[in-house]
Amino acid sequence: MVHRLDPRVKILATLVLSMTILQADPAKAALLSVFLLGGALLSRLSWRDVAAALRPLVFFFCLLFLLHLFFTDGRPLFPALPVVTMEGLSRGLITTWQFMALVVCAALLTMTTTPSELVSGIERLLRPLRAVRISSYDLAIMVSLALRFVPTLLLEFHRLREAQLSRGANFREGTVMERLRKMSSLASVLVIQTFQRADDLVQAMEGRGYERGPRTYLKELKMGTADYTVMITTLGFAAALCTLSI
Amino acid sequence: MIRIKNLEFRYSAEAPPVLQSVDAQIEDGQYAALIGPNGCGKTTLAKHLNGLLIPTSGDVWVDGMNTKDPSSLRDLRRAVGMVFQNPDNQIVGMTVEEDLSFGPGNLRLPAAEIGRRVEEALHTVGIAGYEKRPTHTLSGCEKRLVAIAGVLAMQPRYLVFDEPTSFLDPAGKRRILNVIRKLNESGIAIIHVTHDMDEIIESDRVLVMTEGRISLAGTTGDVLGRVEELKVMGLGPPQVTELMWRLRQSGQDVQETILTIDEAVKEISSLILRKSGPERNSARSGV
Repeated sequence: MVHRLDPRVKILATLVLSMTILQADPAKAALLSVFLLGGALLSRLSWRDVAAALRPLVFFFCLLFLLHLFFTDGRPLFPALPVVTMEGLSRGLITTWQFMALVVCAALLTMTTTPSELVSGIERLLRPLRAVRISSYDLAIMVSLALRFVPTLLLEFHRLREAQLSRGANFREGTVMERLRKMSSLASVLVIQTFQRADDLVQAMEGRGYERGPRTYLKELKMGTADYTVMITTLGFAAALCTLSI
Repeated sequence: MIRIKNLEFRYSAEAPPVLQSVDAQIEDGQYAALIGPNGCGKTTLAKHLNGLLIPTSGDVWVDGMNTKDPSSLRDLRRAVGMVFQNPDNQIVGMTVEEDLSFGPGNLRLPAAEIGRRVEEALHTVGIAGYEKRPTHTLSGCEKRLVAIAGVLAMQPRYLVFDEPTSFLDPAGKRRILNVIRKLNESGIAIIHVTHDMDEIIESDRVLVMTEGRISLAGTTGDVLGRVEELKVMGLGPPQVTELMWRLRQSGQDVQETILTIDEAVKEISSLILRKSGPERNSARSGV
């Protein structure tokens, strides 16, 4: 059901929760963890999905924890090992938790929202920027075109690489500098081709009547009961945590 | 009606002309083929039809709008849709429906109308049900159909196709050509740019371009009949086309749309079988 929420609600909720996470003390952290867990359950995300989001950062989490553990002044935890302090342990735990919670929070957003929904959500949230002459429509087109061309350019990169491999290029051997040079020759071809592509794309877009500024969309976002409920619940929860001091 | 009058085009004042003294006319609902060898200026001419390029001298009028007039640019782009050669460089959406809604969205149509047009365009090109498909996972032929549908959603009166079948396998080619024919039957005028003589058979009218000029123009029958002249321009029709054309010329009932040797063999043997009954002798002498 989280999948079907208005992307604006999900983006705002993620921002609000992130700010709350960054100010949390241990008691609030426990409450926030329960709240995030509830969110994950409602999104029907499995443990595996959450773990997949956290796994690439395990090394970073460990490093963060150890740095705090060893480099915080305070009362020693063990008399024999004076560098490890009580304060270090608690700060290490809370900071590591904060980062993990932020990642889970962002994963909840990206795993339940398609890139297009995210772009349209951001576009609508940024509409007030018109006041300072920034067009959210133009920003949205830029972001979605960039996303649209990621797979195309990746494919092109592989094709170029294969073409060079088949002519005897070897990207795996040689010193780092040599390998970098070979890769950069590949990149320059890719850049030139991408400019050519951009040229064609501009003409195609103009041909389809593109002009800067306001446009309409196939899916106009509409806030429903579920959207308001989630928004109010999240805001209420965050406000309660902020005023609460245990 | 599109009218091109004494068109000349240069990329810069010093550069040699890419197009010169081009005069042409495309009627409402007509299927026109623009054919010529590579580098003759076909694509450059095509880009003049919806104001992507502006003549250095001379004029292009589309339904009375001069392409030089910036105030009619919006209506011009709406009237003349353009399908480019490489679909990868014209698909802007991450999903099919998102791409198809780009044009109508630029026209600032309401969401319901955009939805209706997306459905209709998908249905017309024969890929209904593809709405949610990510565009980068489609086959070459499907990408082209999406590119066509994306332009179709603007509801143009004229459709320009630049080499619409390049890099496709024979089945894909036939699929695209069928869609183009269907669009023409629905009343949209077609300008089909190609270097392939096989593809002009469906057209009503052919403009042959060489070295930036229209060197030959006429009905398709006329132009195809001038085999010798075409050969001089490097545009000799393939043997199968020539054979089938000559068979038709001699009054035999064979299909015009035959492109491959296999198809020709089937068509001719079925012709012989049909004729071997009542008029055995005339069939022999005909084939």
